[in-house]
Amino acid sequence: MHTKRLVTLGLLTGISLILFIIELRIPNLLPIPGVKLGLANIVTVYAVFRFSARETALLVCARILLGAMFSGNLSALIYSACGALCCLLGMLLLRRVLPQKQIWLCSIIGAMLHNIGQICAAMAVMRSLSVIAYLPILLVTGSIAGLFTGLTAQFIVSRADPGK
Amino acid sequence: MKKNRIVMIAAGAVFVIAAVLSVLILRHSGGTVIEIVQDGAVLQTIDLSRTADQDIRIVSPDGTSYNIVSVRGGTVKVSEAGCPDQTCVHMGALKSENLPIVCLPNRLIVRFAED
Repeated sequence: MHTKRLVTLGLLTGISLILFIIELRIPNLLPIPGVKLGLANIVTVYAVFRFSARETALLVCARILLGAMFSGNLSALIYSACGALCCLLGMLLLRRVLPQKQIWLCSIIGAMLHNIGQICAAMAVMRSLSVIAYLPILLVTGSIAGLFTGLTAQFIVSRADPGK
Repeated sequence: MKKNRIVMIAAGAVFVIAAVLSVLILRHSGGTVIEIVQDGAVLQTIDLSRTADQDIRIVSPDGTSYNIVSVRGGTVKVSEAGCPDQTCVHMGALKSENLPIVCLPNRLIVRFAED
């Protein structure tokens, strides 16, 4: 059972990395730093509802570190790490409150928390408050993207293993 | 049942507030004096209405990358960047005093000065 768990987590990490790299090839619609589709988040949201908190945290850490290495953009690591940490903590708490039919809502709030974490990191690194102007725009685009990834994860959860 | 209602309303409220603020921020506004900021310190202050067209090369704090800030006919933009994502270049000219041009990898900000 333990080995099966490990293999599943490894597979999910692989899938999220592939999504991450495919997304790098998609041109950005809005030329604003931090605006992203966040396809890899589909896997994170799925894992939040299907695995324990510890296992999900492992999956996300591996994705972020390997993703930064594969994309060659190590300077972006601190922003994505702060965002992902906020997002993960928020979603793990929301998992206790939200039913399985509202995974999309969990994903939207996760995306918003991701953006807030990113901006906090940017403010700390740039030592300037002016980047906070990006937060409202990121929140709007982030929640639209979060709705999309959340719905995708919800379909996967309900189709792939509806029994649980 | 009750708790997820609260969560949904909170998320909706944040979305609406953020949408309104985005519209306000994206409105065309701004003065003529801009400043180039790196690592929280102002490197240069330029009055766009008086200065001639010029390119300013700014080396990143660790010395491995750069940005070129171009002043052309009263507008300013980042025309070149030594980073992989090029977001600051794609942002185009500085338009709003609320929305600075930001280069996250090189910790550079181009914004209108407050006076």
